[in-house]
Amino acid sequence: MAPTPPTDAELNVLIRARLASLGIDLDQLPPGTTADPETGAPGRDSVLASLRSFVRSTVGTLAAYQLPAPSGTDPETAKALSQQPAPMLYPSISTTWRQS
Amino acid sequence: MTFEPLDRTIDRRAFLARTAALAGAATVGGALTLPAAAHATPGGAPRPAPGGGHQPGGGRNPALDRPEAYVQPRPEALADPTELTLAEAAWLIRAGKLRPEELVEAYLARIDAYESTYQAFNVVLADAARAAARDAARRPHTGPLHGIPLAIKDNYFTAGVPTTANSFLFRDFVPPYDATAVARLTAAGAIVLGKTQMGPLATTRATTPDGVITTVNAWTPTNPGTDPGGSSTGTATAVAGRLATAGTGTQTGGSITAPANAQNLTGLKPTMGRVPLTGIIPLSYTRDHPGPLARDALDAAIMLTAMAGEDPADPRSQGLPPVPRLIEAATPVYAGRKVKLRWKTRIGVLPGYADGTSATAQARRAFLSTLAAIPGATLVDVPLPDEWNLLSGTAFNNVRLVERTEPFLPYLRTDLRGFGVSVTSWLQGALLGGPEFVTGQRAKLLFLERVLNQIFDVCDVVVQTGPVPFDILGLPEIGFPIGFTSAGVPIGTILGGLPYAEDRLLSVVAAYQAVTDWHWRRPPNPPAAPGTRAARGAAAATTPDATRGRLTAEQVAELTQ
Repeated sequence: MAPTPPTDAELNVLIRARLASLGIDLDQLPPGTTADPETGAPGRDSVLASLRSFVRSTVGTLAAYQLPAPSGTDPETAKALSQQPAPMLYPSISTTWRQS
Repeated sequence: MTFEPLDRTIDRRAFLARTAALAGAATVGGALTLPAAAHATPGGAPRPAPGGGHQPGGGRNPALDRPEAYVQPRPEALADPTELTLAEAAWLIRAGKLRPEELVEAYLARIDAYESTYQAFNVVLADAARAAARDAARRPHTGPLHGIPLAIKDNYFTAGVPTTANSFLFRDFVPPYDATAVARLTAAGAIVLGKTQMGPLATTRATTPDGVITTVNAWTPTNPGTDPGGSSTGTATAVAGRLATAGTGTQTGGSITAPANAQNLTGLKPTMGRVPLTGIIPLSYTRDHPGPLARDALDAAIMLTAMAGEDPADPRSQGLPPVPRLIEAATPVYAGRKVKLRWKTRIGVLPGYADGTSATAQARRAFLSTLAAIPGATLVDVPLPDEWNLLSGTAFNNVRLVERTEPFLPYLRTDLRGFGVSVTSWLQGALLGGPEFVTGQRAKLLFLERVLNQIFDVCDVVVQTGPVPFDILGLPEIGFPIGFTSAGVPIGTILGGLPYAEDRLLSVVAAYQAVTDWHWRRPPNPPAAPGTRAARGAAAATTPDATRGRLTAEQVAELTQ
């Protein structure tokens, strides 16, 4: 059973905690939704709203993606076979050593 | 029977040299050991290198010694040196009919007259350019780039010259060495005329770090609302507005091909690794591609020939196929008096590419028709590979954001406001976890296999409706002009190629440009503006004009490359 989607408040805690674990304090930004007049940096509430949307869309889409198994694979074994494709930071460069 | 263990086949000396160079590159800011590229100086001892003799940092590049790199100027270009293409200026300089000082002065005069409108530069190095031109006049000829003034995007390191990337974070950064690409261009004789405006940290069209629009499209200088293309905006406007002969850009999400298309230029984003990233402020390390913005395919080929090749300080550039003969590839060939393609080429056309009634659609249909009429060209319909829209869509494109967050963590901890309007995507990257990032990297290879098997099995180059898919994959793309709107705004298109197929792309565009004249058209001069600048010393950027508009952080988050 899928977990209950997080609320805005829960995501705010998640985002602040994740950033804090990296040493980033969101309170460096101005409070509220007004941008910093000197630098144009957005207010922290505006950023939080954007980051919540990012987590719900991008993180959710990527996390839900399962690499395909070969065509015709029995659904019972597709999950296992989808583990096989290798990651590649530089796919175009890899063609050189893969063809040599 | 005896045999050697495999480790005996490794070239130990070469391995140690590379390792030492990498260690040096990694210590910038600490006890500094410069990468080998940094020590390269004009006239430095050339090193043997694979792929036609391209040197790691500087020294003479024999691949530039091609007769095709020199083109007798068009009669109409002789009256104004700023009208000359790079190859035409090279012809005149080699023939002793144009002195580098004259060429530099001609550009400085235009900068003096029009830069306050264009706002293409962050800094104009007038005195240094004059000195370099005088030096060029005294030195032996070094090839087609000898005495050619260039506009360098402000994320390329330039030794002793501020390199800001249009960011508060780098406003005081003065690099201790040149980017490898810059070192190679100047070693080939080119002159750095100035550093150009760009989107902050290479994110959007050129703005100040706080979002005020700076650079305009050279074709609509009084309308800042016209997209000039980003983030290599300043370079594009400088070349299109005839403030420099050619220039450099970087592309992570369309930042060379988009400004080329927007401003009637030819921009070449090479295959990942073809041009080293050493000495370029990073945005996304698997996606950043340095390349040229130029007036036509031949000029782009000359620039890329100088910039490309293996660099001990960038492992991405090592072990690749040799740099092809780009200058020859970009030279049209004829059957009798009729242009033909240098190599028979199947041009893939993606579904929907030329559909509709817009000016762009009409220009695309005319482009395909013109191309199909060139002997050697064959149009073939190709499908969109499986999951094309998903694997090149927003979520999978966003996988790159991790790469901008990681190297900037020290800045994120201490100076969030220093990111200005660009901060949001750096924070987004911090929220992507390792599993999502790895999924993205696994999807890249799947995506590449599908592009190779479902598109390139039936064609050699393919039209693109946007740059992102091939930016994700690190495949080469060339942007070039194919028409204008009724309002006089350029229309361009993009061709994509197989890995390291820059020669094929250049050959197709060179043939197309031999039978069309879009690339010869130049924008009219802007109206005279008050507050022209003196092209003396090292002139700083024109004061931003807030009436040009301002991008908000929310807009930048949507537009970021």
